[in-house]
Amino acid sequence: MALMIIALVIFGITYILIITEWINKMLAAMMGGFAIILTGIVHQKVAFAAIDWNVIFFLIGMMMVISVMRQTGLFMYLAIKIAKLAKGRPLPIMVWMFLLTTVVSAFLGSVTTIMILVPIVLLVASELKISPIPFIITMVIGSNGGGAATMIGDPPNILIGSATHYNFLDFILNLTPPVVMITIASIGIIWLLYRKGMKVSNESRARLMSYSEKNLIKSKFLLVASLIVLGLMIIALSLQAIIHIETATVAMTAGLFLLFISDRKKVEHIMANEIDWVTIFFFMGLFMIVESLVETGFIDMIAGSVMYITKGEPKSTSMVILWLSSLFSAVIDNVPFVAAMIPVLEKLGVLIGDSKAMDPVWWSLALGTCLGGNGTLIGASANIVAVGIANRNGFHISFKEFTKIGAIFALLATVISTFYILFRYYGGF
Amino acid sequence: MLLANLLNPKTILHLDGEYSKEEVYRLLLGRICQKQELPECGEELLTKIIKRDQESSTAYPTGIAIPHIRVEGFQDTIIGMAFLKQPVAYNGSMINWIALVISNISSTSLYLNLVASLLKISKDAALVQSLINMEDGSAVVQHFKKLEIQIKKEVTIADIMISDPVSITRNAKLSELIDILNNRRISFVPVVDEENNYLGVVNVLSLLKVGVPDYLMMLDNLSFLRSYEPLEKLLQEQTEISVGEIMKNGVSFLKPDTSIPEAVFEMIHKKMRFFCVVDEAGKLVGVVTAMDILRKVIKA
Repeated sequence: MALMIIALVIFGITYILIITEWINKMLAAMMGGFAIILTGIVHQKVAFAAIDWNVIFFLIGMMMVISVMRQTGLFMYLAIKIAKLAKGRPLPIMVWMFLLTTVVSAFLGSVTTIMILVPIVLLVASELKISPIPFIITMVIGSNGGGAATMIGDPPNILIGSATHYNFLDFILNLTPPVVMITIASIGIIWLLYRKGMKVSNESRARLMSYSEKNLIKSKFLLVASLIVLGLMIIALSLQAIIHIETATVAMTAGLFLLFISDRKKVEHIMANEIDWVTIFFFMGLFMIVESLVETGFIDMIAGSVMYITKGEPKSTSMVILWLSSLFSAVIDNVPFVAAMIPVLEKLGVLIGDSKAMDPVWWSLALGTCLGGNGTLIGASANIVAVGIANRNGFHISFKEFTKIGAIFALLATVISTFYILFRYYGGF
Repeated sequence: MLLANLLNPKTILHLDGEYSKEEVYRLLLGRICQKQELPECGEELLTKIIKRDQESSTAYPTGIAIPHIRVEGFQDTIIGMAFLKQPVAYNGSMINWIALVISNISSTSLYLNLVASLLKISKDAALVQSLINMEDGSAVVQHFKKLEIQIKKEVTIADIMISDPVSITRNAKLSELIDILNNRRISFVPVVDEENNYLGVVNVLSLLKVGVPDYLMMLDNLSFLRSYEPLEKLLQEQTEISVGEIMKNGVSFLKPDTSIPEAVFEMIHKKMRFFCVVDEAGKLVGVVTAMDILRKVIKA
């Protein structure tokens, strides 16, 4: 009991530091991770074993793939092509950029997609002499939605996918349908919100149309090769049930192969600069801290209380998890939230005793955490990154301004998810 | 290194009577060729020395002349000296001490140090007079030995830097900066406060960046863009933005006593083509560029 209290104190302090970002998030997670070893709550061996290497190497592998894919210029090409196909008209550009962000996020992750596409939208908006803020906010919403659609799109899904027996295809079959519905509904809302008020001069439009996006594709070889690798990677992930190769190995194989065929001189640069080691160590620290709660029995206690409230009834458990995670993810970073929720759900599965009955509960967690992130400016990493880029370019997006729009979309997404979960898994209310 | 150890008493002459400088050179060279093996000697070398003398004066106002010739394939440094009871005229200045230096193509720093040390001695008129009055070369060498005259160990960047460089204050506007960069054809300016304390550097790239928004810098490449309007921002706002907003603070600098190899090392290591030189008190005293090192050291 005393150990559990110490573990809870360390966990509490660490999570407060992560959420408030009083100190660097990674530093907080690592300090918490080693504090539980120093205080003797968890043996070093156990703490290290708690690190999910499947997640760690998956992240590293994907970062390699993405860094090579960025070199091809494909995403910039697509973004500019879209702006030109829309003939410089703001609303079609906004809708198509929303869709592009959604689709790319589903495979490259929301944060990367935002980092590639937001600067282009800033450029396009500046040429068209209109405010980029509505574009940025809708793209962030698209990125969080797209990230929810697949196992590899958003960090919470990566964590869930690795901790459970669900594979890539399970995620597509269970999560892509609601995301498609949410995306269609979101386009409707975008139309309602922004159909008026964006006027563009002929001159600006003509300037945009003079962009020569063909110049962006520097190496056709690298482009074709990386598209083939990405395609093979997705096929391999989809066939996981048959070929039994873990996610991390698939991603690392793809990443290492692309590094192998790209410019030899760039290998060290990519390893040192393009792999986001801060994020990697942040995840490692989180795994270690959460382990202390598992070891001391606190997670069992929480799972027990959830059982008590929901009487072990899967339908109400799903609803509680969906709305709880949506609310929590709106106000705190969804990665530490999911990291702590995973062992709770695992324990619940043991208590309920029927793993099939847990399926909708897991999907509820995934939908809630990814989509709830739209709720406020600080709900997901993509939001913070996008607003940071906007701020640095003189477009201040306040917490209120983001939340006013984000909350509408988060609420819409959670309501659609509620209907989806109820109708798909429980045959109605 | 002691100056005395570089000298050979037999190549030090004391001349009484009227000589022209060419005659002194011939005498010195004759003595040197007698005592040392040189790849080339005689009239040919003499012509080169005289030709070099005509290109730029080797005389200094303190009364010393230091003609210098580099001989290809010669791996040493030889100094011949002539002390003249009756001075010779060198384009107006009267010279009573000629030190002829023969060195190889590359040993620049020793030569520069040698010149610095000879110049220092020549400033002491009483000492020079006593050297002239000595009876032979060994007395001169003994005297230098006794005085422990050192050849300064290394040239420092203080010797090759541009002293009192142009600088700019934090409050200056960009228009002023543009004028300085443009008129002086330089690519950076040190930033100082009112008391000449070093604050940092502002360079032409920081200036151009005013017209390039952050989001453009985040793109992976700009090959699709041919013209771009915001570059004009720089023109519009040059009288509003001050240097302090775009300068780099805390740019590393060198101290005046930094050696040349260290300066070269720092330039390569930090990928900087110039350094500000700042003294112990934090005042800006000079600027040294990679081109200065090339011009003044390698090609000296």
